[in-house]
Amino acid sequence: MTIAPAGGGFARALDLVTRVRGVRGAMLVTGDDGLVVAEQLMEGIKGPAVAALAASVARRLGRAMETAGVGATLFWHLQAERGALLVVPAPSGLLVVAVAEPEVNVGLVRLELLRAAEGVG
Amino acid sequence: MSLVNFTAREIACKIVYYGPGRSGKTTNLHYVYDRVPDSRRGQMVSLATQTDRTLFFDFLPIDLGQISGFSTRFQLYTVPGQVYYNATRRLVLQGADGVVFVADSQAQQLDENLESLQNLQSNLLEHGVDVRSLPLVMQYNKQDLPRELILAPADLDDALNFRGVPSFGADALHGAGVFETLKGISELVLKRLAAGSPA
Amino acid sequence: MTTRAVEPWTLEPMVGFVQEAGARLVLVMTSAGQVLAQHGFSRAMDVMSAAALGAAIMASTDEIARQLDQPPFAALNHQGERHGIFLAAVPTNRGRLVVLVVYDLDVSSLGLVQLFFGQLAADLRAASPKPEVPKQVLAADFERDLGNSLNALFGR
Repeated sequence: MTIAPAGGGFARALDLVTRVRGVRGAMLVTGDDGLVVAEQLMEGIKGPAVAALAASVARRLGRAMETAGVGATLFWHLQAERGALLVVPAPSGLLVVAVAEPEVNVGLVRLELLRAAEGVG
Repeated sequence: MSLVNFTAREIACKIVYYGPGRSGKTTNLHYVYDRVPDSRRGQMVSLATQTDRTLFFDFLPIDLGQISGFSTRFQLYTVPGQVYYNATRRLVLQGADGVVFVADSQAQQLDENLESLQNLQSNLLEHGVDVRSLPLVMQYNKQDLPRELILAPADLDDALNFRGVPSFGADALHGAGVFETLKGISELVLKRLAAGSPA
Repeated sequence: MTTRAVEPWTLEPMVGFVQEAGARLVLVMTSAGQVLAQHGFSRAMDVMSAAALGAAIMASTDEIARQLDQPPFAALNHQGERHGIFLAAVPTNRGRLVVLVVYDLDVSSLGLVQLFFGQLAADLRAASPKPEVPKQVLAADFERDLGNSLNALFGR
């Protein structure tokens, strides 16, 4: 019997996201703590910083959504001048985070983020 | 090391009550805690075992009020006395501005007192402090016990007080000598500050 | 909220950290537990107790590292139901300082605290002055004041 290395499932989930053209990196982040669980990032992306800040935004957005009476956040996408941040919360409380270039196919990234979130439970 | 804030005119000093197990270090702090008004003391923090023996330290901050225009606070710590807690004793001793050595006056405890005194010296040396340069007072506790069981302060001075530092007979349970001891160490620590020496 | 610094150079780095990390309480202290700066505490005496305990925890973990023949651990985090405690050391020109942070879990997170602690550590290192030559603090006749204060303290 072979035992998969720890985090192997997480790496596969991130592969789904990073194979999309224009995605510069993907991470699994604990929603409560903002800590990186797994990452596949291109050089120059500050993983821990993005993770901490994305989790912070996710918490605030979640609160805003609940206050607005529209339920839990399923997906969010922040577009900036030189790129975009896309996040899908997984049922386990993890966040699947993608950092992408501005012209990325948002629909495709969203799809893969949802699949990855399903994969990590 | 004492901390002096010239802007806010505040002084904070760390005093450590050292000595063998069951010599009455925690009892000293309890007496101080009970006698000092609420507004002049903080919470007494005791990290103790289930049997109330000091595990790490007891801590009591007290506010001495204005001394030469400085608002002066003392942080009183005890160390655990039992031999096997030496690592924690050494940690508590770090940065001490003064030490009260609480000796057990019972004749049969003399060896324990000596061992603890030697342990104090070696732990201070590990922090790079020469015991001869540190403000130190001796307290000979349990002087209320029957005469036949204890040594007189003069005898304890001969046996323990090599440096000839101020010494005080005490019965910490009932408070005798507790105040005098605290006053004694406070004077030595503040004198050092007054002289402009590194505390 | 009270924010104050015994040593003024610690204030700006600490205030920046509090704002960025959303910390509830912060203590910057020496490794012996003497407080250099604090934010969020209401009573000076409570600050001292927290500092004594924080310094003790740090000293304990340092000692464990020493016994394991390892360099000191970088940081320690405890999380409760509503609050987290983060404790870490910063080497500065004024010696090794210890920073204790208490944060609300619904306002901040370990990730945010860790992230901005890096900046705090760099700011403290940069701002810390070289140790000063001790100067005379108290007047030579302080003993009368001390006697009066202690007498008042013990109700004598």
